[in-house]
Amino acid sequence: MIDAKGVVRGFDDGAGGRVTVLDGASLSVAAGEFVAVVGRSGSGKSTLLHVLGGLDTGYRGEVSVAGVRLDGLGDAALSRFRNETVGFVFQSFHLLSGVSALENVMLPARFSAAPGGELERRAREALARVGLTMHAARTPGQLSGGERQRVAIARALFASPRLLLCDEPTGNLDAETADGVVALFSALNASGLTIVAVTHEERLRAAASRVVTLAKGRLT
Amino acid sequence: MSASPWPLVWLSLRRDRRSALASTFGLAVGVASLVFFVALGLGVGRVVREKVFPVDARLVEVVPASFSLGLLGGGVLDEAAVGRLEALPGVARAYRKMNVRAPAVSVYRGDFFGRPLHMGLEVLAVGVEPDFVVGDVVVGAFADPGPDQPIPALASTRLLEIYNKSFAPQRSLPQLSGQLLAGFVFPVEFNRSFVTAPPPGAAAIPCRAQLVGVSDRALLAGITIPLEVARRLNRAANADADAYSAVTLEAKDPSAVPGLVAAVRAMGLEVDDQERRQAERAGAAVAICTSSLALVSLLVCVLAAFNIAHAFSAAVRAREKELGVMRAVGATRAALFRLVFVEALVLGLAGGALGTLVALLAGVAADAAAASMLPAFPFKPESWFSTPAWLLAGGLALGVVAAAAGAFLPARRAAASDPARVLAG
Ligand SMILES: Nc1ncnc2c1ncn2[C@@H]1O[C@H](COP(=O)(O)OP(=O)(O)O)[C@@H](O)[C@H]1O
Ligand SMILES: [Mg+2]
Repeated sequence: MIDAKGVVRGFDDGAGGRVTVLDGASLSVAAGEFVAVVGRSGSGKSTLLHVLGGLDTGYRGEVSVAGVRLDGLGDAALSRFRNETVGFVFQSFHLLSGVSALENVMLPARFSAAPGGELERRAREALARVGLTMHAARTPGQLSGGERQRVAIARALFASPRLLLCDEPTGNLDAETADGVVALFSALNASGLTIVAVTHEERLRAAASRVVTLAKGRLT
Repeated sequence: MSASPWPLVWLSLRRDRRSALASTFGLAVGVASLVFFVALGLGVGRVVREKVFPVDARLVEVVPASFSLGLLGGGVLDEAAVGRLEALPGVARAYRKMNVRAPAVSVYRGDFFGRPLHMGLEVLAVGVEPDFVVGDVVVGAFADPGPDQPIPALASTRLLEIYNKSFAPQRSLPQLSGQLLAGFVFPVEFNRSFVTAPPPGAAAIPCRAQLVGVSDRALLAGITIPLEVARRLNRAANADADAYSAVTLEAKDPSAVPGLVAAVRAMGLEVDDQERRQAERAGAAVAICTSSLALVSLLVCVLAAFNIAHAFSAAVRAREKELGVMRAVGATRAALFRLVFVEALVLGLAGGALGTLVALLAGVAADAAAASMLPAFPFKPESWFSTPAWLLAGGLALGVVAAAAGAFLPARRAAASDPARVLAG
């Protein structure tokens, strides 16, 4: 599912120098795995996810995801990849405020070249998968933190991706709610979805089928 | 290929209603004032062109040279000169004109459309070829009726307007129309004057004249009569009955006029373009007035564009994370540009339409106010505004262009932002 080799990614440090965040990072993930990536804050976990999800282009190295060679792809092809092949889940949900859960879940369809039939039915199905059938009409402001994260997961699932990329998905949730979200990931993984989750939380790490550690720009 | 931006544009407009309304309102103010002033300028310009100085762009008024060059009989408008003028390239027709070269007065004593009137007037008369004015004759024939019959005479449309709006109200005389006037008979006595001594040994020639219509082509301060009558009166008064006072050339096309003017001058004749110059001056004055007002309005539109730029910059900044997440779910850079830009175009279209509508309504209101509050004066128009289709389309387009100009850079910024940076953490 994922085959990343020798990924190098650096940033300007704002003082004229460069910091190398990923320094030859390599990662292989088979279809159906649930991989937890751990590492201390600032070690480059988010950066790694952005590379794997086709959001970042400023790296060197070879990255194949779901059979698509990402390095060197242009904006249109990368956008299409993000639209159809991966789903992102973020720590702070990133829902459109003032917009219903249903509309939020449909967001990928607004940028899809594929014919968008039955959007609403599909969005309701995605909400059903995360257990939020009742709240389709609510806006994020009318939902609890856990419910918001479930809406965000439904949005990530909407286009039936092959891979879920999660960046500290439980980081903004209390323990009880986080348990529910982790259980949801386990269920999704059990139904065949490949998941890579960045975390420093024990419960998510425990749910994963494999744990890799990011340190000094490399994965071990 | 990507999906339509409309659903998200509507979503965003609905969500940020206040800001959208403010941007639309700003645009509408600019567009409304511009459309209003341009329509006013066009309207007043139309009044000047059609009523105050109704200049026919194809006509060239040829007059004799004010001093004769002596050679070749240059400068005189005799039949031979008319023949040469008619032969100039670009000339469709030449119309002869001959002044009655004797003074004349009209002394009226009697009923004037229901009011008693007692008035004496010095009268000028010019004879013209019937074809020149035949379209404006509403009773009888415009031809020499013979010595004892009333002379058919045309009055000036502009004179009638001045009479109706200035002269008649002050003297409580009735309002007149061309229709009412037609058929009115009044005495005219040639070879008589209130202001100059009568020519030596000249006997007064008493006549009657009958108004047969009003014409833009008629003499402003006098009567316009058939050419042959003028010739006959000049003969009777022992005045020159052969040389013409003026010849009006009708060009085949307005574009031929400058060439004609040059050719006429080369013949030693002069062109009386006083009317045209006056019309051009008045037109230019109107144009300068309204274009300076239009310029101010255009500034308002520029301000509106800056307002949009400001609002959209703020919106793009505030929605940085939303735009980032759109990229994460598959938006291309171009799609984000489109999203922001199309939203601005919608506001521009709305502002342009609203502004144009407001300008039209303001024009109607101003016309109504002018009709009821301003006193009657000569050439007072029924409408001060002219709103051709291109102006309305221009109002719409201006709104759209101002919004597009304002939103361009913010849209570019939205497209260029790095999603990875805003989504982390
Ligand atoms: N767009 C960016 N520009 C500059 N520095 C960045 C950028 N993104 C990440 N970094 C830096 O890279 C390092 C790793 O960041 P990140 O991948 O977010 O770490 P983590 O998710 O493990 O906390 C940090 O030092 C961060 O400041
Ligand atoms: Mg991070």
